[in-house]
Amino acid sequence: MIWVETLINGALLGGLYGLLGIGLALVFGVMRVVNIAHGEFMVLSAFCAVLLSNLFPQVSPLLMLIPVIALSFAVGWLYQAAIVNRVVTSPDPLSPLLLTFGVSVILRNVMVEMFGADVRSLQVGELSRASLEVGGLNIGIMPLLTLVLAALLFMALQLVLRHTEFGRIVRATADRRDIVRLSGVKPDRVYNYVMGLSLALGAIGGVLLAVRSSFTPFSGAERLLIAFEVVVLGGLGSFWGALLGGIALGMAQLIGLKIDPNAGLLYAHLLFFIMLLIRPSGLVSSRV
Amino acid sequence: MAPLLRVSGLCKRFGEIVVADNVSFALARGECLGVIGPNGAGKSSLLNLIVGLLTADGGSIMLDDKEITGLPPHQRARMGLGRAFQIPQPFPHLSVYENALVAASYGAGLYGEAASDWTMQVLQRTGLDGKADKLAGALPLIDRKRLEFAKALASKPKLILLDEIAAGLTEPEVERLVAVIKSVKADHAMIWIEHIPHALRAVSDRILVLDFGRKVLEGPPAEVMDSAVVREIYMGLKADGVA
Repeated sequence: MIWVETLINGALLGGLYGLLGIGLALVFGVMRVVNIAHGEFMVLSAFCAVLLSNLFPQVSPLLMLIPVIALSFAVGWLYQAAIVNRVVTSPDPLSPLLLTFGVSVILRNVMVEMFGADVRSLQVGELSRASLEVGGLNIGIMPLLTLVLAALLFMALQLVLRHTEFGRIVRATADRRDIVRLSGVKPDRVYNYVMGLSLALGAIGGVLLAVRSSFTPFSGAERLLIAFEVVVLGGLGSFWGALLGGIALGMAQLIGLKIDPNAGLLYAHLLFFIMLLIRPSGLVSSRV
Repeated sequence: MAPLLRVSGLCKRFGEIVVADNVSFALARGECLGVIGPNGAGKSSLLNLIVGLLTADGGSIMLDDKEITGLPPHQRARMGLGRAFQIPQPFPHLSVYENALVAASYGAGLYGEAASDWTMQVLQRTGLDGKADKLAGALPLIDRKRLEFAKALASKPKLILLDEIAAGLTEPEVERLVAVIKSVKADHAMIWIEHIPHALRAVSDRILVLDFGRKVLEGPPAEVMDSAVVREIYMGLKADGVA
């Protein structure tokens, strides 16, 4: 029974991990760029949520998600327009990698400067401890809400990409960014919105992770690592794959912790490593 | 009345290779200009210079009396240029309908129902209406060629640029495609690169011959096709040789 509970909790944690990965998957799928600074942007959004909930202690910290999402979208738009678009068409795949790596280093240090290196977390009070008893199983309300939210967001993203004007242009640009210009589309502008969307999704993951576990300005690297593993496990550029990848990682992590309480993320990383060896194309191999 | 397109002194080189050497010509509204020349003569490059996929080293391109030489491709597309590629370049993960709809929305600036109505009209004209929901990446060659034409047409261009759209097709397929091209000719000016002489003769008002990036001849189709210059450089035959 205790193992069933572990698996369920792992799956719930996986919803959160999927949220960390989906923004990265979106940007990679559309512009073939790995945004190394994705983790730092997630941490930045968590700091924003902490800052806002300190300013307005009477408002639930979870409601702070709304302004933080909007802010992250704007930051992503500007980040793409001012920085990433300079290298997105570079024939050398190293250029965007190095540039976004540079941004991640700068962001990390700016956050230390602004917020100090102290450990923070986002307090949501009773909600973080509340749980459901189902057939003798103990399931946390907050992780359950997170997984439901993640699944809803994945579905919404799928719908937007499949059935809206915006989604059509994003898919066309992802397919052929050179050719889409001849139909009157400016790829750079499409990318701005995609990066905005990516960081907005990252912000949701970043804030919810800050509720679950504490963070410092240096937490970005670990978040990026999880996001990256989620994306690769799921199959590069595949959204539902990212959710599956997240769930697999979450389960591996919690099973590992059951066996060895000091393991941390070791077993999740091991799963990633083994999967990379036996199925390098990921669980679901398809594109946007 | 000013010509729709005026190309003057257009130059472009890649190192030693000259793809456009002081090329000048003009095109009136509703006119179809055929372009012929041997492989590597700079035909496709000429179209790429006009739509902005290549930037000219010198010279100017005027569309509707507006200078477009330095503009990016998406702006030129919105100003009324549509290009169909020799090797079809669809968005493979979009349906046929969506492929054309992108051009209708952004190239022609249509919204909502107007955009979808126009897209369906274009698909009907190009014989793709039965395949609207198919993924573009899964189409056979003839339909990918049609889709190239449909995408160009959907952006409501003033000028359509066709690059060997009939190449690689069987004779009946060529005839069907030529019929479609003829049917839209009344409303659009066209520049059409083609290696199939009878197809060009059937539609063009004028033919321009390129060789090593230079314009070597320009005139009425019959005259150009039968000229010694064309037989020598294009057909690879000596002027006095046996045809």
